[in-house]
Amino acid sequence: MSIESRLPARAGVGFKPVHFRDIVAAVQPLGFFEVHAENYMGAGGPPHAQLSKLRADYALSIHGVGLSIGSPRPLDRAHLARLKALCDRYQPESFSEHLAWSSHGEVYYNDLLPLPYTEETLARVSEHVDEVQNTLGRQMLLENPSTYLMFAESTIPEAEFLRAVSDRTGCGLLLDVNNVFVSATNHGADALDYLARFPLERVKEIHLGGHDEQADDAGAPLLIDAHQAPVVEPVWALYAHVIARTGPVATLIEWDNDVPEWPRVLAEAQRANAILGTAGSAKAA
Amino acid sequence: MFAPVQSAFAAALLDPERPVPAGLSTHTAAPLNKRFAAYRNNVVVGLVNALGTRFPATQRIVGEEFFRAMARVFVTAHPPRSPLLMTYGDDFPDFIAGFPPTAEMPYLADVARLEAARTRAYHAADAAPLAPEEIACLKSDSLQGLRFLLHPSAQVVRSAHPIVTLWAMNSGERELGPVEDWRPEDALIARPRLEVEVRALPVGGAAFIVQLLAGQTLEEAATAALADAGDFDLARNLAGLIGAGLITGFAIEEPRKELP
Amino acid sequence: MNVRKQITAATLASSLAAALAMAAAPAVAAPKPMRADMDKCYGIALKADNDCAAGPGTTCAGTARVDYQGNSWKYVAKGTCTQIPTPKGPGSLTQKA
Repeated sequence: MSIESRLPARAGVGFKPVHFRDIVAAVQPLGFFEVHAENYMGAGGPPHAQLSKLRADYALSIHGVGLSIGSPRPLDRAHLARLKALCDRYQPESFSEHLAWSSHGEVYYNDLLPLPYTEETLARVSEHVDEVQNTLGRQMLLENPSTYLMFAESTIPEAEFLRAVSDRTGCGLLLDVNNVFVSATNHGADALDYLARFPLERVKEIHLGGHDEQADDAGAPLLIDAHQAPVVEPVWALYAHVIARTGPVATLIEWDNDVPEWPRVLAEAQRANAILGTAGSAKAA
Repeated sequence: MFAPVQSAFAAALLDPERPVPAGLSTHTAAPLNKRFAAYRNNVVVGLVNALGTRFPATQRIVGEEFFRAMARVFVTAHPPRSPLLMTYGDDFPDFIAGFPPTAEMPYLADVARLEAARTRAYHAADAAPLAPEEIACLKSDSLQGLRFLLHPSAQVVRSAHPIVTLWAMNSGERELGPVEDWRPEDALIARPRLEVEVRALPVGGAAFIVQLLAGQTLEEAATAALADAGDFDLARNLAGLIGAGLITGFAIEEPRKELP
Repeated sequence: MNVRKQITAATLASSLAAALAMAAAPAVAAPKPMRADMDKCYGIALKADNDCAAGPGTTCAGTARVDYQGNSWKYVAKGTCTQIPTPKGPGSLTQKA
């Protein structure tokens, strides 16, 4: 029997060990914490001591960054076994991974790399998601990526590709609203159009994060998903737009680089909580 | 077919001499150099950052500019083979040892070895130390077949240079200053509880612990340590291991039958 | 002639007894500075490695030619190695032969 993804519909924060003291010093107004699976695959030590403490006090989301689900090559069974051991140990409310690849042959590139959206890749990604869900014995969430390039061979819009994977496998979706904004900007598309195509009813978690602004060869904006800054206003607006349609959904603040003091990260989460609260009371009324 | 495009994409990530792979596009007619560069940068910067995180004292000794340039050479030649970045850079010290621009700093690779061992200790399995009373219960007539089990985090790094002093001065553990006594130091790196500890070992201590880690009996390890250093002090070295909480178990072998 | 020193059963027993006595002395038992309770319970935080994003900055890092080919290397080590005088040679950690 597959365990459904079930995070509380409140704000959460991506856990950074530098914040540990601040987090445990008080009861935080958060529904959950999220950790990157690969950082907890050592045998013991402080990472597990800290994660056990967080897990005792809050709901937990385990977010993989290294499974390479979007690769045409077979999944790394040893890595999948490590993910299973981690999920079995901590019994997270949710497990998620990316629509991307990160390994090729023997090499791990440590980045979320893009894939074309075709019938061929749809079949392959769906097989991989099935394999993950069967191995873990739980539903997984698949996240939309930030992309900087497109593929000439793509035939399926990304939002429809994700809908199809969800249809075929029963996986839930993780909607990264910053990624929607980044990709739409980078590809000269409209983020609202993307959201209109996106199967919002399958969304069980939302990610919000900051990005960096650069330019492509023609001087057009090229946004980089860097998680190094606050969420920008247009992304907050898109988020409110989504929540108005979905009702409250577990929402994560991601801040991975140039990590500020805990109160600054918490303030971002509280802003998400405020938007979730408004949606919650509007729904109840 | 995605597979051939992916192979070209992967090959170009770590090789800036390669052109942007075919099969990629954008919504305008602009060239794709900067877009593909975003992926190249993410890969290289992410991996160089991972090495900087793991080898902070090494970076401080050579300075950030030199370190990052050296790390970039390493990353392109030795990209990770595992999605567990906590293990990335296990072979960086060996690379430093063979990297000609560091030839004037012969101690650098050993400082990096110490730092690599620290990360391994940080993530090693947990184990509770034996209480001294449990060790005191060992019967004296069983000691010749005694093997001590050491904490899973325990590692030894031997060096011809004062690596413990250099590491301490470049990690904030000790004030930066002249190395008064430039002599070989062997380091014991371990995490008996939740804090990684680094100690300089007394003479013969490294040989002694290496033998214990290899599963040799106390007698065999002490004999090897005496061969390594004539003034090896067994009591002092054992006291160090017990005091540090690094003896986590023992096994006793039946006394060997004397050959006729 | 074999000059290798032997370890006798009596040496093992006396060394172990002496070691236990030494380990019980406070100087050996607590050689490290005491940390705050929180760190003792959960450990000092090391930055985690696997992230979702590499982060911006040094935007030529992935595209610049790796400039160590043959012997060309334009970087000079400017860290603490230049600042700590050693008995073997001032201004460098390097052990001068």
